[in-house]
Amino acid sequence: MLAFTIRKLFYSILIIFGVMSVIFFVMNLLPDPARMMQGQRADISTQAAIRHELGLDLPVWQRYVNFLGKTASGDFGRSYTSNRPVLDSILERLPATAVLTLSAMLVATILGIGIGILSAVKSYSILDNISMVFALIGISVPSFVFGLLVIILFGSLLQIFPISGFVIQDDAKWYEFWAYHWEYLALPMFTLALRPISIIARVTRSSMLDVLSSDYIRTAKSKGLSQKVVIFRHALRNALNPVVTTIGSWLAALLTGAFFIEYIFNWPGVGALAFDAIPRSDFPTIQGTVMFSAVVFVIINYIVDILYAKLDPKVKLN
Amino acid sequence: MAEIPIKQLAEAEIPTEKSRSLWYYSWKRLRRNRLAMAGFYVTILIILIAIFAGVLAPQDPNLQILEYTTKPSGFKGNVILRTNDIPNQDPVPIPIQSFLVSNGEITMITDDGSTRKLPVSKLAGSSESQWHKEPHFYLGTDRYGRDILSRLVFGARVSLTVAFFSELLSIVIGVLFGALAGFYRGWVDESVSWLTNVFWSIPPILLVISISIALGLGFVQTVFAIGITGWPDMARIVRGQFFSLRETEYVEATRALGLGNMRTIFRHILPNAIGPIIVIATAGFATAIIYEASLSFLGLGVQPPTSTWGQMIYDGYGYIAAGSNWGLTIYPALAIMLAVFAFNLFGDGLRDAFDPKLNR
Repeated sequence: MLAFTIRKLFYSILIIFGVMSVIFFVMNLLPDPARMMQGQRADISTQAAIRHELGLDLPVWQRYVNFLGKTASGDFGRSYTSNRPVLDSILERLPATAVLTLSAMLVATILGIGIGILSAVKSYSILDNISMVFALIGISVPSFVFGLLVIILFGSLLQIFPISGFVIQDDAKWYEFWAYHWEYLALPMFTLALRPISIIARVTRSSMLDVLSSDYIRTAKSKGLSQKVVIFRHALRNALNPVVTTIGSWLAALLTGAFFIEYIFNWPGVGALAFDAIPRSDFPTIQGTVMFSAVVFVIINYIVDILYAKLDPKVKLN
Repeated sequence: MAEIPIKQLAEAEIPTEKSRSLWYYSWKRLRRNRLAMAGFYVTILIILIAIFAGVLAPQDPNLQILEYTTKPSGFKGNVILRTNDIPNQDPVPIPIQSFLVSNGEITMITDDGSTRKLPVSKLAGSSESQWHKEPHFYLGTDRYGRDILSRLVFGARVSLTVAFFSELLSIVIGVLFGALAGFYRGWVDESVSWLTNVFWSIPPILLVISISIALGLGFVQTVFAIGITGWPDMARIVRGQFFSLRETEYVEATRALGLGNMRTIFRHILPNAIGPIIVIATAGFATAIIYEASLSFLGLGVQPPTSTWGQMIYDGYGYIAAGSNWGLTIYPALAIMLAVFAFNLFGDGLRDAFDPKLNR
């Protein structure tokens, strides 16, 4: 187990190295940042000074090595617009994103598994068909489109929930989001949950159907056990394994994928930070958020892998 | 006993049920899946709309009539077209209430109630049907007075072409990497798997955004950004297929015949992996539509004045808080949803059709 943990850790670091390399080479294609920072009329000596300061006059390989070293030590550069360290801005926004993601994932897990079980138990019924069509719609609708429709329906037409305007206090605690700001949280959370609900429901359904047709379920049924006991005691426990993996990978995907939702609902998270940086051509911030998201993704997947190997003895350790 | 000629014997052995190809059975299974067929027909319809956008669109999608901004659905305009003072430019529309032609001069009551005169020679065209139009804006107009329906129709073209070419790029990269990894295994497989995992770890929409910012904005850049991001799924599936197909007897036979690796890979293994490739490509196509819309929603992607669905949504987005003109957001939103949903329905159906084990 320890060897497995270490090997996985080593591999995760290799992945992060790859991610950093990809990001470096993509960002290397950008037009000259010194020009971007100074605008059209910058004089040549100022530009040269900035270029020197940013290390842009060095050869590519040396910049690459510098970039790797800096990023590894947590230095993501400074924002072109606010001149603050990018990592500080990201960490400041992280609680809002975490709250949004975790709430959405909680909702998605409960609803997704519930719908999935119902669909599987009543498979090929009208209920099953309707929920599976809705699940497919949930997968098909881009998050920003769904977000806008939700805003129109609940925010503008019915006026039940506020559609934006949430301001985060500097010293806000995590629980305060749920306690005092739930009405701001409701719409973005629901919008964000839609896709994972659909996917979890589909995975639960197919895995449940698999298990329900197995021999030991037939045995349990023939023993005269009630349907409730068969489903919840015997089938569900085995059917949930692939669901747990799905939830794990979706937690990672959501934490990094809430960007559009945050942007549309003005939720003050990491995603809004990244998207606000796009029209300002604030490349260090964009680059920093991409890198941060990828690292978080790798870390969460690492933890999920380890947990999964611990929980499920069927997983081979090599 | 007379000897039966071999030819006759062979003919006698032909089974009554003709053996058919994988395609025949897959198509038969697909035909039985009503939802998938619905998705298929809608997909075909959208493709036809994209191809014949020029014929189907009721108006010029880029014609701005600034007097007709944000008109509701079903609005009927009334315009006189005059020739543009700048040569070789489109005629200029003048919205009117009524007009009268006499003595080589046209007198118009314009939209704001004032009277305006123009010599007939300035009109675009010689007959009234050429210079007097009553455009019908079935879905209303946007904030520049452009026809929403026409922009939606032309938006389908952008959406589908970007999705098509980017998916093509993803297929080429994914199949190449997947095939090499699955066929050669060893360090080739390790490196490809590593690269796949690297691309998987970067949130796809952020990767698409980063690449298109880095490359600049435009059609080719957008195709490239989406295509580069989409290949890992394809690589994974192709790799898996090659892993198992490589062990089959007919592949062993190609080795016994001394065929080169490349020929074995592309002529013998790849055609047998085509089913899963098509399934993944369909799903990838739907995803590419979403990415294109997302990019243009953010003002990246294909640039104005070309109409794209994402950009239309962004234009309408500003009106939502004001609580009016929902159509500006809802129509393009429905277009995206319909297109992606149809592709996913079709793709799901294809997956079931190519995989007999899942036979319902």
